[in-house]
Amino acid sequence: MSIITQSITKADREARYLNPSELTAIHDFYQTGRERLRIANILSSHETQIVEQGSRRFWERCPITPSNCGNPVYQASCLRDQSWYVRLVTYAVVVGDIEPIADSGIRGAKRMYSSLGVPLNNLVSCMSCLKEAALAILTVEDAAVVAPYFDYLIQGLR
Amino acid sequence: MTMAHTNSSIHPQQYHSLSTAVLTQAEQQDRWLTGSELKAFSDFFSSGSKRLAVVEKLGQQSQVIISAAADRIFYNGSAMAYLPSPPNRENLPGYTLPPRQSAARPKERLKLQIPSYGNPLRGLLETLKNQFSSDREPLPSGFRPINIQRYGKARMQRSMRDLDWFLRYIIYAIAAGDCSIITINVRGLRGVIPEDVTEATVLSIQEMRWRALQYFKGDAEAIQLICEPFDVMIAQYRVEKPPMQPRPGVSSEQQGLQLPESYRLTQPRFVMQSLLAETEKQAVIRAAYRQVFERDITQEYGLALTDLESRYRSSEFSTQEFVRQLGHSRLYRDLFYEPFSISRMIELAVRHFLGRGIYSLSEFQTYFERVSEEGLKSFVNMLVDSAEYAEYFGEATVPYLRGLGQEAQQCRNWSAQLNLFKPKASTQKHPEFVTQFSSQQPNQHVYGAGNDCLEIQFGAIFPSQGGVATQPTADHRRILIGCQPDQASGWGKVPGAPSEVIRLSARPQKMEQGGSIDLRHHSAEAVIQAAYRQILGREPFSGQRLTPAEAKLKSGEITLREFVRRLAKSQPFRELYWDSLYITKAIEYIHRRLIGRPTYGRAEMGRYYDICAKQGFYGLIDALVDSAEYLEAFDENTLPYERYITPRGYDLRSRHHPNCSISPVSGVRVADGTWVQEAMQRNRAQTARINGHSIKPDLSNLTESLTPESPTPEPQSEPEHDEQALAVGAASY
Repeated sequence: MSIITQSITKADREARYLNPSELTAIHDFYQTGRERLRIANILSSHETQIVEQGSRRFWERCPITPSNCGNPVYQASCLRDQSWYVRLVTYAVVVGDIEPIADSGIRGAKRMYSSLGVPLNNLVSCMSCLKEAALAILTVEDAAVVAPYFDYLIQGLR
Repeated sequence: MTMAHTNSSIHPQQYHSLSTAVLTQAEQQDRWLTGSELKAFSDFFSSGSKRLAVVEKLGQQSQVIISAAADRIFYNGSAMAYLPSPPNRENLPGYTLPPRQSAARPKERLKLQIPSYGNPLRGLLETLKNQFSSDREPLPSGFRPINIQRYGKARMQRSMRDLDWFLRYIIYAIAAGDCSIITINVRGLRGVIPEDVTEATVLSIQEMRWRALQYFKGDAEAIQLICEPFDVMIAQYRVEKPPMQPRPGVSSEQQGLQLPESYRLTQPRFVMQSLLAETEKQAVIRAAYRQVFERDITQEYGLALTDLESRYRSSEFSTQEFVRQLGHSRLYRDLFYEPFSISRMIELAVRHFLGRGIYSLSEFQTYFERVSEEGLKSFVNMLVDSAEYAEYFGEATVPYLRGLGQEAQQCRNWSAQLNLFKPKASTQKHPEFVTQFSSQQPNQHVYGAGNDCLEIQFGAIFPSQGGVATQPTADHRRILIGCQPDQASGWGKVPGAPSEVIRLSARPQKMEQGGSIDLRHHSAEAVIQAAYRQILGREPFSGQRLTPAEAKLKSGEITLREFVRRLAKSQPFRELYWDSLYITKAIEYIHRRLIGRPTYGRAEMGRYYDICAKQGFYGLIDALVDSAEYLEAFDENTLPYERYITPRGYDLRSRHHPNCSISPVSGVRVADGTWVQEAMQRNRAQTARINGHSIKPDLSNLTESLTPESPTPEPQSEPEHDEQALAVGAASY
């Protein structure tokens, strides 16, 4: 749900036209849209790099974890999930809302991971490493836009 | 693995803005945004300020636009007067009055406009002027404007509200950059709005479009932005009233549900064709993986089932065959067969290959038999070769989840089915359907298996103690009270019941020696009073007595059974137990009153429903009073009594229950035990007094003199009754 659908839902519930404050909010959304698209582009083009550095850092920090025990299947799925989470963050950056992360990244994820036998603490620190790796390739201003989404993700998995 | 691709079927989003639409699609297909999608985003963002300008202008001019549309189709009056004024929102928190509207309140503006359009001359001029503008839709031949005066106030208000509603959704769609909000809300509207005004509605929408375009003459971009949603709206409105679509494959196992087409969401379906491009074929293959394995195998393991895939690509396999081979693969066995119990495995397999949950117990049993006798491969073959698979997916289509938005859902295993469609269903190990089926008894009572309708809980479909009991517990077992006439004691008393069995006997029997009254005889007055208590549940109010029937009963003209029938058909009874209750509850009550027991189960209730529906209240009473059971249990001259009792019900009624710790006689607490002794002594004293003996008051009787005595001697049966109740109470202390 983006800011636009949110305001429309709200206006529709009250059966009225969009009011000026909502129009301003939508206007801001349009204005920052290009910016957010650019950041998302940077993230998606550096996805392999982010995942690689993030996972390296993660295995340095938590050497004892299923993905680092020599099982290629576990390792591959760990990398895949990391790339998947980076992609969710880019979705969220584009749409300017946490909903893609909350909807498909966090809801039920803890239950799923614990049923798969993944230690949740390691998962959280893996996400922190991913965040550091992602922010490292961005400028300070861009990082300020992206960081909240990673923080939300980490909080949600904690 | 995708977590997201089924989410939209569980929580369908009603509409999209451009950004959410694109993202949802990307998310469902589990991929990064493509170049064209990025381009769409970029265009969307850059057109932002133009969109907002349009939205703002149309919002401000909404009144003008609506009145123009109304003038086009209505005549003889001011249509705008019927437009409901917007609710007063100024006091709502967070509402800021639009700056340009703050000078002129909406109501005042309305008044200003009315003369300009209400004035016939001016309106005529405008109409003439507008009629000759070139870009306007001409009035279709044969169209007759609607006379406001004849159309009626209610319909006018509705029409004006709808016009306002149309414009509002147009504006929303422009702001969102996506017309799905219009599609979803307008499709099927033609079935709701009367068919004879379709032409007028379309005409008014066209007029709104024309009027809106007048504000942006020469601005190509704005014109395009405005035209698109209007055109979509008109096209969607013109769609014929969607037919009801019965769900395919109706059999004895499936309920024949109907799904209006307007509910149908557009989910992509993947169909393999030999002419598809390589990337599209790849997409189909991955869709098959997602359906069968619930995840993307190529990504997950780097393990491509290369041989199968290449044969599938080269059209050697049909989709059906490919899906079958996936089900036969080692991987499927590892993922979904070995980790699960057979019951759960069956549920998951039905999801994978048929895209639904299990419908019924018999279906489950068929599958279970096949799996346990012939194994997984044979079971997969059974599903893939089934008629249902052929009907839904055929040779070429990849199976999909037939959830909400795809077809009508059954309610009998609703929650289990929704759980099964969740993305993480395979993390749940225990079976869900079969446990649910096991709680559904074939002859289950309408209140549910665990419900005890003897202690009827008002309005409670389910028993109050937490959760739904699926099996009757020990306390729910009913005890049939044996009340056969005993030679020695005559008609006995019902243990635990509030009163004894009352029988109308023709003549008073001979008084026994010693002046005591024969307990087995009841006067006609006593019988009538007891009948009112049993059937009506209370003493009748004055004016509610059935005086003629009473007289006939006393004179022996009618039997007690006939009296009961008339009482049950009387107005007070009908008001108490029929008019104010819903049908199930009414049957329960009346059945208890007349037959003396709760209903047994669904079959019996079904019979009564039938009688109620076809013959109504009086038919039900006749059916009960004439039933063989009534005659056998009560014959002609016995008053119906409660024949069944549960331990809990007995406990509630008995006097040592915590809820009745105050004795009804003297207000002394039962809990300390003194009341019991007092009552027994009082009984003894009374019996002695009646028998003409005098007893010396001894010390133990001192307490008795403190309690006020009732001025009139109680009837003999009362103390007798007390003593028995006490005996029962003492036994259970």
